Amino acid sequence: MIYLEPESVPEAVAALAGDEDARCLAGGQTLMAMMNADLVMPSTLVGLRRIAGLHEVTETEGMLRIGAMVTHARLAGEERLEGARAVVTGSGGGGDDVSISGRLEGARAVVRDAARQIAHPAVRNRGTIGGALCHADPQADLPGALVAAGAHVEIAGADGVRTAPVDGFFVDYLESSLEPGEMLTAVLIPEGPQGAVGAHLKFSRTDGDYAIVSVSSVVAMQDGVCSYARVVVGSAGPAPLHLDAADALLTGSGLDDAVLLQAGDLLAAAADPVDDVRGSSDYRRLLLPALLARAVGAARERFDG
Amino acid sequence: MGFPPTVSGPGALKIENSFLVPAPRDRVWRFIQSAEEVGACVPGCEHVDVVGEGKFKARVRVKVGPIKALFNIDIERTEEEPMESASYSTRGEEGGRASRLSARSRLTLRAAGEKETEVAYASEISIAGRLGRFGAGVMKKKADDLGGQFAEALRQRIADTPA
Ligand SMILES: Cc1cc2nc3c(=O)[nH]c(=O)nc-3n(C[C@H](O)[C@H](O)[C@H](O)COP(=O)(O)OP(=O)(O)OC[C@H]3O[C@@H](n4cnc5c(N)ncnc54)[C@H](O)[C@@H]3O)c2cc1C
Repeated sequence: MIYLEPESVPEAVAALAGDEDARCLAGGQTLMAMMNADLVMPSTLVGLRRIAGLHEVTETEGMLRIGAMVTHARLAGEERLEGARAVVTGSGGGGDDVSISGRLEGARAVVRDAARQIAHPAVRNRGTIGGALCHADPQADLPGALVAAGAHVEIAGADGVRTAPVDGFFVDYLESSLEPGEMLTAVLIPEGPQGAVGAHLKFSRTDGDYAIVSVSSVVAMQDGVCSYARVVVGSAGPAPLHLDAADALLTGSGLDDAVLLQAGDLLAAAADPVDDVRGSSDYRRLLLPALLARAVGAARERFDG
Repeated sequence: MGFPPTVSGPGALKIENSFLVPAPRDRVWRFIQSAEEVGACVPGCEHVDVVGEGKFKARVRVKVGPIKALFNIDIERTEEEPMESASYSTRGEEGGRASRLSARSRLTLRAAGEKETEVAYASEISIAGRLGRFGAGVMKKKADDLGGQFAEALRQRIADTPA
């Protein structure tokens, strides 16, 4: 196996070219475990850590551009600097981390909220947004949250750079729409509708385990009427589950419990979850409407009074 | 799939399905007697050799995202009731990569009117070695998916073959 650490995206793309068993290495949290289990045997490993641009977070044309190598911990914000300690914000150290978290407010908060609930600090410190997307595990937290946020992915390949809505990125279990020779360079997150709130509700056996079911939502209300809703369910099939019909049911309603359960039933009927140690397929489908009602009900309460 | 899984190994996987084929039962029976025809319907099957009466060797490629495997498989027909059913025992391993699979499968035909036949299959597969470390839930989905592709290919191939 060849190990490379290119310093630019074009060099990385060149290293991936013409070898379908070459793989990028981001935080290594999943790839290393899969290599240790002999499940994946790359011919060439392209380490991305030296590519400075992939670690950057910038604001461009209403989009927050998050480099593929930004860790879950940076997305979640520096937790040690919350509460009373937040007073040191901006005084060096974790300052930049806090400012990313600050930019993930409103609708974008769905992404921060998902990142915060991934695994435990060690995994969050190494695992990256790019790795989480490219691994394309539908039980993970960030894929659904990014679909709810209406994010776009930026992909580099031999023919240059393209961007696409994140919705179409997830094809099947562990299968993204990346073509051989392509890599993810950034995720672009729009500001979202005015006044919207975003949240990620994760239901799992223990803190930090993968979700049995997760619900990512971005919701806005005006004068008691829902003006925007985008709801996505994770661990419910081969890709994050999003139905325009469910959003349409919520939009224009008062988000009362009956409507929430109705939208949940629609999504449960479309869900095709796996049967495994974390929960049976039937159990996951049964949970879905109740969790959706809990997630969106909590959002509704934030608009009351 | 949630890797790493908290428990290892899918143990025994069961897949079951039935589907209608637009051909009378004797034609479907003749079709499934041909290793070459059936092999062409198995997703990822690269070739099949008949090595004896009711004995076959095949090479099958499977892939889930970055996880790829190539199995060398021995299939033996263990039971046969002409026009009704056939049972097979399958053993396979990856060249040098230490995954082994074994399966018992049964195929049953039932006439559904004069022009259609219901084909039912049931298979119990166990996988040991590196692929046994893969999450059970996704493995089952993948197996069901491959079963569905097999059914569709078989249906299509029989429909496209002149009687
Ligand atoms: C113990 C444990 C618990 C976990 N719990 C959770 C959880 O509760 N929720 C959750 O959502 N996740 C969970 N994860 C997953 C983790 O958070 C990471 O998202 C995951 O490990 C992938 O990120 P990574 O940076 O480590 O990627 P890597 O492991 O380095 O790579 C993963 C895959 O993506 C490819 N890849 C990476 N970056 C790129 C790129 N830029 N372009 C193209 N391909 C790329 C790699 O080739 C590889 O196939 C857990 C992981 C562990 C080890």
